[in-house]
Amino acid sequence: MIRLPLWGLLLAAIGPLSACAKSDAASRAVADSALLGAREARLKQLLSNSDTIGPDQPIALWKLPDHLKEISGLALTADGRLLTHGDEHGTVFEIDYRRGEVVKSFTVGSPRIRGDFEAITIVRDSVLLLASDGVLYSFKEGADKSVVPFAKRDTGLGKQCEFEGMTFDSLTNMLLLACKHVRDKELKGNVVIFRLPMGADRDGKEPPPSPLLIPFDQVIGSNDWTDLRPSDIAIDPVSGNYVLVASIEKALFAVTPAGEVVFSRPLPKDHDQAEGIAITRDHLLIISDEAKTGPARITLYRWP
Amino acid sequence: MGFFKQLIDVLTLGSDKPLRRLLAYYLILGAVVLALFYFVPSAGHLIKGDHIRTLTSNAQLLEDGLSGAKEKAADVPTESGLDLALTTVVVMLSTLALMLPVSWVFMSARRTRDADQGVVQTLIILPLVVAGIVLVVRTSLALAFSLGGIVAGLRFRTTMQDVRDIVYIFLGIGVGLAAGVQSLIVAAVLSIIFNFAILLIWRYDFGRNVLEPTANAQWAEPLSDLAQRDIDRAVPDRELVLALSPKKAAVLAKRFDRVSKILGPTQKKPRFNSVLAVTTEAVGEAQARIELVLDQLARRWRLDQVITTEGKPAALYYLVGVRKSVSRDRFLTAIRESAGNTILTAELELGDAASQEKQAAK
Repeated sequence: MIRLPLWGLLLAAIGPLSACAKSDAASRAVADSALLGAREARLKQLLSNSDTIGPDQPIALWKLPDHLKEISGLALTADGRLLTHGDEHGTVFEIDYRRGEVVKSFTVGSPRIRGDFEAITIVRDSVLLLASDGVLYSFKEGADKSVVPFAKRDTGLGKQCEFEGMTFDSLTNMLLLACKHVRDKELKGNVVIFRLPMGADRDGKEPPPSPLLIPFDQVIGSNDWTDLRPSDIAIDPVSGNYVLVASIEKALFAVTPAGEVVFSRPLPKDHDQAEGIAITRDHLLIISDEAKTGPARITLYRWP
Repeated sequence: MGFFKQLIDVLTLGSDKPLRRLLAYYLILGAVVLALFYFVPSAGHLIKGDHIRTLTSNAQLLEDGLSGAKEKAADVPTESGLDLALTTVVVMLSTLALMLPVSWVFMSARRTRDADQGVVQTLIILPLVVAGIVLVVRTSLALAFSLGGIVAGLRFRTTMQDVRDIVYIFLGIGVGLAAGVQSLIVAAVLSIIFNFAILLIWRYDFGRNVLEPTANAQWAEPLSDLAQRDIDRAVPDRELVLALSPKKAAVLAKRFDRVSKILGPTQKKPRFNSVLAVTTEAVGEAQARIELVLDQLARRWRLDQVITTEGKPAALYYLVGVRKSVSRDRFLTAIRESAGNTILTAELELGDAASQEKQAAK
């Protein structure tokens, strides 16, 4: 006669018990997943009725956690993911701007690089961080919680400008560096965008950067600004125009690659310190604000 | 237990080898887990460690600045008491199943047979407690600090006899932690790798200093004869011989052999039948006085060895053929009277031949 195996019963009990025991993690994951799905559906619905939404009316606003209170530049990857970074530390974050979630973060350099980082962009398969003195840090995108090595390059433009914005023009293969404070007397009185060719020319030499100058008075137009200090630059993926944001003047303006002003207008209200700008292919304008009177945040608008 | 023992016996073809039996146990456990996956796929979250990924992931929901906090509060369900109780039971049973083989290995894979029962029981209980604590603390910083304070108050500190025992305790904590964060796969891998590593280390005596091999490692020579139980010349304490260093064992064997040849059972009647061992701090004077007695009471005698050690009394060894008419007590009394204060101790060890003769005389 077979004796009743106590251990067998215990092990056998694990099965049904496991089935019944819905873990806290699983519950939370299900709840989060449902919430994120609801957010995405809501955004889609808003975009489908975009005619009823004005250009200054936010369609999503995500409050950022404390470690992103000094959020600065924004960059969109080729597959439409949003990368951002803090002001002082070389940590890059991926934010799902449609669903309001910090997806991952990775660190640049070990030990982590420090500096006055002002802008971020994607150049083919590399990510570039720009320091205000014109030094570029190049690295590959890392996995969550990873540490990635980097290469450093000085553009040599730090004497002429203090930079705060950067984007990459894939059509011309040039980096666009937006100048916040112009140090070169000859350039003063203009919005200055340096165009820095990426890669060597036919002779194997790196072409020198060239400035695109747009006189202040052309940009300011009827607005009551006395100065313009751009804090970030993006390229409109549809028109190819350069779109800039200026945090101090709370200004938003666009120029063609030739330097002709397309429009200039005040930012929608409630932008305390707009530090980053990005425009998606599906007509979303994304603006990041550093924490000032409230928490740092990312705001989404309909882009025509 | 009997059922499992039988099952393990079947799988190992009745082998008593620890590696095979351990492998059989884990195979059975693995089969149970596979069956679990097959029949109850939803049980996977406890085994695969979804919870630990949630804890360590950077993914973080952002607060919606337009619709506000009410959005989250409305959608996130809370865990029921039954769910929590069942999760705890599953975690505890799994921890038990994973720590049992560890306790077996602890009791088996050691050179001495003094496995501390307290440690064995701790190995089973500690992971259960750790897992329970982790289930309670979860991600609460406040609870974690409270726990720190309580543990500091308890002063759970002890001195282990063997450094390796501490490693077992650490493993117990590791398995408990993994189970507590509902990552049973990590707990299982910890248990499996640890047990097999310990068994292999024990099996191959890993880490022995090859420049100073143990006496056991040089078994064939010269200890083999000395340590065997079934021969007349065997050293009585086999474990003592095995504990000697090779050098000391060789010296002992040499002396043992020599004396044994002289005094032990042989075909011919031995020339000497006893060994007189005397310790003294005045070798010359003692020697002269002892030899006077030997001339009177022994048929023949020979000074076999004088061993002098710095800081210790010298030892004199005489091979003596004691006359039949002289008893051991009389012989030693005469030696002590003659030598007086010049000797510290005197012992007469009778050989086999002498003993047999004395026995026959009686």
